[in-house]
Amino acid sequence: MAQQANHALPAGFQLDEYRIERQLSLGGFSIVYLATDGEGKSVAIKEYLPNSLALRGEGEIRPLVTPDHAAAFRYGLKCFFEEGRALARLSHPNVVRVQNFFRANETVYIVMQYEQGCTLQEFAQKNREAMGETFIRSVFSKLLNGLREVHARKLLHLDLKPSNIYLRTDQTPVLIDFGAARQTLSSDTPMLKPMYTPGFASPEHYRQRELLGPWSDIYSIGASIYACLAGSAPQAADSRLKKDRLEPAMVRWEGKYSDQFLETIDWCLCLNHLYRPQSVFLLQKALNETVVPPDPRLSKSPSPTPGSGFGHFFERLRKKAFSQ
Amino acid sequence: MKFSIFQESRTGKRKNNEDRIAHCYSRDALLMVVADGMGGHFYGEVAAQIAVQTLTGAFEREADPEIRDPFRFLHESMDNAHRAIFDFSIQHELSDSPRTTCVACLIQDSIAYWAHAGDSRMYLIRDGKVVVRTRDHSRVQLLMDQGVITRAQAARHPERNKVYSCLGGPQTPEIELSRKTPLRAGDMLALCSDGVWGPVRDETLAAALNGDDLADAVPALMDTAETNGGAHADNLSIIALRWETSYAEEASGTDGADSAVSTKGMPDDKITTRLDRFGRNPDYKSDLSEDDIERAIEEIRATIEKYTR
Repeated sequence: MAQQANHALPAGFQLDEYRIERQLSLGGFSIVYLATDGEGKSVAIKEYLPNSLALRGEGEIRPLVTPDHAAAFRYGLKCFFEEGRALARLSHPNVVRVQNFFRANETVYIVMQYEQGCTLQEFAQKNREAMGETFIRSVFSKLLNGLREVHARKLLHLDLKPSNIYLRTDQTPVLIDFGAARQTLSSDTPMLKPMYTPGFASPEHYRQRELLGPWSDIYSIGASIYACLAGSAPQAADSRLKKDRLEPAMVRWEGKYSDQFLETIDWCLCLNHLYRPQSVFLLQKALNETVVPPDPRLSKSPSPTPGSGFGHFFERLRKKAFSQ
Repeated sequence: MKFSIFQESRTGKRKNNEDRIAHCYSRDALLMVVADGMGGHFYGEVAAQIAVQTLTGAFEREADPEIRDPFRFLHESMDNAHRAIFDFSIQHELSDSPRTTCVACLIQDSIAYWAHAGDSRMYLIRDGKVVVRTRDHSRVQLLMDQGVITRAQAARHPERNKVYSCLGGPQTPEIELSRKTPLRAGDMLALCSDGVWGPVRDETLAAALNGDDLADAVPALMDTAETNGGAHADNLSIIALRWETSYAEEASGTDGADSAVSTKGMPDDKITTRLDRFGRNPDYKSDLSEDDIERAIEEIRATIEKYTR
């Protein structure tokens, strides 16, 4: 059944103290707007508007919630509050900052700092050649600082993917969209379908949700890095469980990137959650390791002859690192 | 060890079940826990859950396959649960700490050891009669001890739910330890929340558990308690156990009910835990009032304010 899309609030609409400029994105659960506050500063406003439960027709302001959807709508509201609560407590340069939270039009809104830049997905599509090992290592290592903060608050992001990673113009990453974020402690059985994106969601997302943990976000990080290299999302975890056709990064990009980097990606993408890095810290340690990436221009030529100068030195260094 | 065990928890007529129960056993030791999260304080069920998890977690770590010092184990893990609940309230910046009552019983070598804080009870029933019962840490119990009120008056007393010891909260709980109590074959133990013992008399409770099959007897007792509880029946939870081996004849294989658990064949490093999965019932979840919404928004705004530099 095709779902009717909701209509966004019109440009110029005065929402509380903010003026709507335009719609930034439309999701199944919410609409995100670009708006300006009283001081003329840009902000991003996220409106709770689940497509399947609330409908806003063209030219209308208040969404229509039918009585039989009222309970589910309110339950979804709770999830939206959870996102608000989660974000409100996070003040970190690599995590989007919440500025305000208010109620209007019979629904609720989260106001977030608006960042100049684009998503990692857009960036990767436009700048394929910039996706070098050093760049990716640096972006993800910074991003993991933010994710560590999230996990330290006993939260999981649960929807990490290149389109939820924002790159500021100075190329520092920001984690956005905590719509799927949940308190790891709560054992609620959600009435709304859990949200995830095929290709980036871990196997636990599909099957045993009680196994979700930091390692699930780490799978998504691995999948995001893989996607940056490949230019498209890796095979979805549920289909990998049936028949794993995902070419390991080690095989696919051998010689183009350092072995240690490719091994790290494959490590994150292990189907068994216990085989993945168990904490962001471990992954960060692997990403921050100093390995000289091979020069892609030389990728056709055979790997450095053993015993020759630096190549040999690093080879030994790497072996040492792995034997530990 | 050989025993029959049955546990059940019901919501009663309340919106949410704030009781938590669990039992676990190794080859040579058995632990039962009942915690009754206190209403009137936020997150009662969280406090109860933390209590139950802390105790079963400690058992899983320390039963090897026996617990070295049962009383120390009970006291320490209940005290740890108290601290964990308090930590939870600090971590989540709650204005008030959640609280729970707790009763826990450990059996090994056919000797029972128990501890409690608050008004969740443990009964030892022998030959259909209550021979030992925990004394509630409640105001009405004190008044009864002083002879100020009678048992009948206590049952209707407006402050009958007030307890002076519980896990969680700013005060150090009074954790009362039992004596070492050797068990005989056929002894019954019942750990329950006030939703069960409140509406039924001790004699009724003892008689009800005298039946052959706990899987029939316990639900029947729960039905009685729930009916007597009326339109506002509290959460009801019980773990009932029939001990099948006697302290004197631990080794000789006596025959008990077929449904009895025998731990004889268990490897000494295995632990079985029965902790039901709880969730708030979905109706309760969607029951978000205008006040709840306003409160949630206020809370989020205050947090934003606090964390904005």
